[in-house]
Amino acid sequence: MIVGRLIDYLMAAAHQVARKRMRVFLTALGIAIGVAAVVGTVSLGEGIRYQAVEAIKEQSDLTLIEATADIRGGAIQFITPAKIGELGAIPHVEASSAVVREAYATKRQTYLEVVGIDPAGIEGVLQPKFLRGGLLAPGSRQAVLGHDVAETLQRYEGVRLGDTVPILIRRYDEDGMPVDEEVGFTLVGVLQERDDAFDQVMLIDRGVAQELRGGEAAFDGVLIRVDHPDAVFGVVDGIKGLGLTARGAFQQIESVNRLMDVVVLILAFFAGVALIVGALMIVNTMVTSVFERTREIGITMAIGASPADVVYLVLAECLYIGLIGGVIGDLLGVAFSGAINTFGKPFIVAQLGDTFSTFADAEITLITPGLLVLGMAIAIALSLVSGLYPALKASHLNPVTAIRTGV
Amino acid sequence: MEPIIETRDLSKVYNDRVTALADVNLAVWKGEFIALLGRSGSGKSTLLNILGGLDAPTSGEVRIGGKSVDFGDRKALIALRRESIGFIFQSFNLIPALTAQENVEYPLLFNYHEKAARRERAADLLATVGLADRAHHYPREMSGGEQQRVAIARALVGDPLIVLADEPTGNLDSRTRDEIFDLMRRVNRERETTFLIVTHERELGKRTDRTIELLDGRVVP
Repeated sequence: MIVGRLIDYLMAAAHQVARKRMRVFLTALGIAIGVAAVVGTVSLGEGIRYQAVEAIKEQSDLTLIEATADIRGGAIQFITPAKIGELGAIPHVEASSAVVREAYATKRQTYLEVVGIDPAGIEGVLQPKFLRGGLLAPGSRQAVLGHDVAETLQRYEGVRLGDTVPILIRRYDEDGMPVDEEVGFTLVGVLQERDDAFDQVMLIDRGVAQELRGGEAAFDGVLIRVDHPDAVFGVVDGIKGLGLTARGAFQQIESVNRLMDVVVLILAFFAGVALIVGALMIVNTMVTSVFERTREIGITMAIGASPADVVYLVLAECLYIGLIGGVIGDLLGVAFSGAINTFGKPFIVAQLGDTFSTFADAEITLITPGLLVLGMAIAIALSLVSGLYPALKASHLNPVTAIRTGV
Repeated sequence: MEPIIETRDLSKVYNDRVTALADVNLAVWKGEFIALLGRSGSGKSTLLNILGGLDAPTSGEVRIGGKSVDFGDRKALIALRRESIGFIFQSFNLIPALTAQENVEYPLLFNYHEKAARRERAADLLATVGLADRAHHYPREMSGGEQQRVAIARALVGDPLIVLADEPTGNLDSRTRDEIFDLMRRVNRERETTFLIVTHERELGKRTDRTIELLDGRVVP
């Protein structure tokens, strides 16, 4: 019923639109240029965002996340065995392993960031590739070094694979005075370069680390391997849902997204100025159209149309302007985006330098179906809003005066 | 039986000064074919607009079909125009963007009729006014007489109790004028639709059931 009425209004309006095709086309073009500007600039923003995220995905170990304790509502959420179980049960978690974090130093005061991990879990979460040597044996005082820290120790302290490195573990006595205990760890493996925090880390057996800490069974975090890059943010949400903090390479993507949200918003805002001009064109066209048809609107009311009917009839005409403007706008937007890709890319790549060299052979603009739908929606919504004033003006005409004095 | 149109002491004063109608008392019966005569400025059009619910009287009462018209109730006035009144204007006033058929259908658009029913009814009426073959022509492609026939069909499409015609033949040559007049007369006889026709041509008045003459806003006795 309501749909039927809507179709009736649209049919009636179609006749009016068909009668002044040129005017409708030119008005729709105003909206179309605005939509094209928005689609083009947003596609550039989205394209750069996409490329930046892809670059991060390629260059870092995105699917590795560490869940750590967090303070929620004033209470610390510890990593309990129950939490570890729940973390492992989050969908798309391929492997997880609880870790203990420590800070040790060598005798020459080289700082060592230590991760105590279950040797059985290393393979699953870290997927280590060894430059030299191999995995540490469970329960033993053996260590695997990250690429950078291994290089540092070799260069300044002459530590090589198979050496036992004396390490100082600081404790405090009853008077609060620091006492360093010396413990020897045998270097059994060196990891390949990973370009993440593990390049600086010394991996040891988790049980050994806990024992050296004084027999506490607590954990400092859980390393988690996600099965697919696309599932990372879902797992992050799962971790946060458990009251824990998530850290990892995905945070870079979050930063990029935050930045690009602002950039896209600002780009779209300036492009949106063109939309305001387009909207004013619609107001102008429809006010003119209503004025020209004063008598006709009076007649329409005399033969039974209510003011609401008149509003709907005028808005139906605006809907056509919006539809036409949206379609042309999307097409122009795609063309605009293509032009940025062809002519703007060399410039942008030159400005960004080597870090984003991946841009050179990729599209720097990205048109998604959602963006085209957005363009369409903007055009339609704007044309309806612009039509409101002329429509209300038409519906407030006095039929008698309109018929008598109308053009 | 009650009159189909009845006015009681109907007055209309514009801007507190210009009296368009003064104490008009009228009774029109169902099926009557009446000429409303008077010089320009005598209040004919004002009376017609008030009877059609387009304008409100300053004082007095209008009863259509036995019911008093509430001029403060906009919805009731719209319903009155939709259901009980058909308008015919001097300058035809068809919608230029619509074909003859669509012009006739147009009032039904606001009356919640189904598309098929609208189409059938409009086609029927175009046949009645002898324009079945012009259904898909636009107003600009038709002569004045043809346009006025379409307007008559449009006025009749909602099956109104009363057709109010404001100088329907004023813009036509004498031969076409007679044709249009005869058409209205025929519709009046066949359908028992009440016609109230404003005209300043006394000659036409002789061919109606009755004439009502207005002079300076008063009915000439």
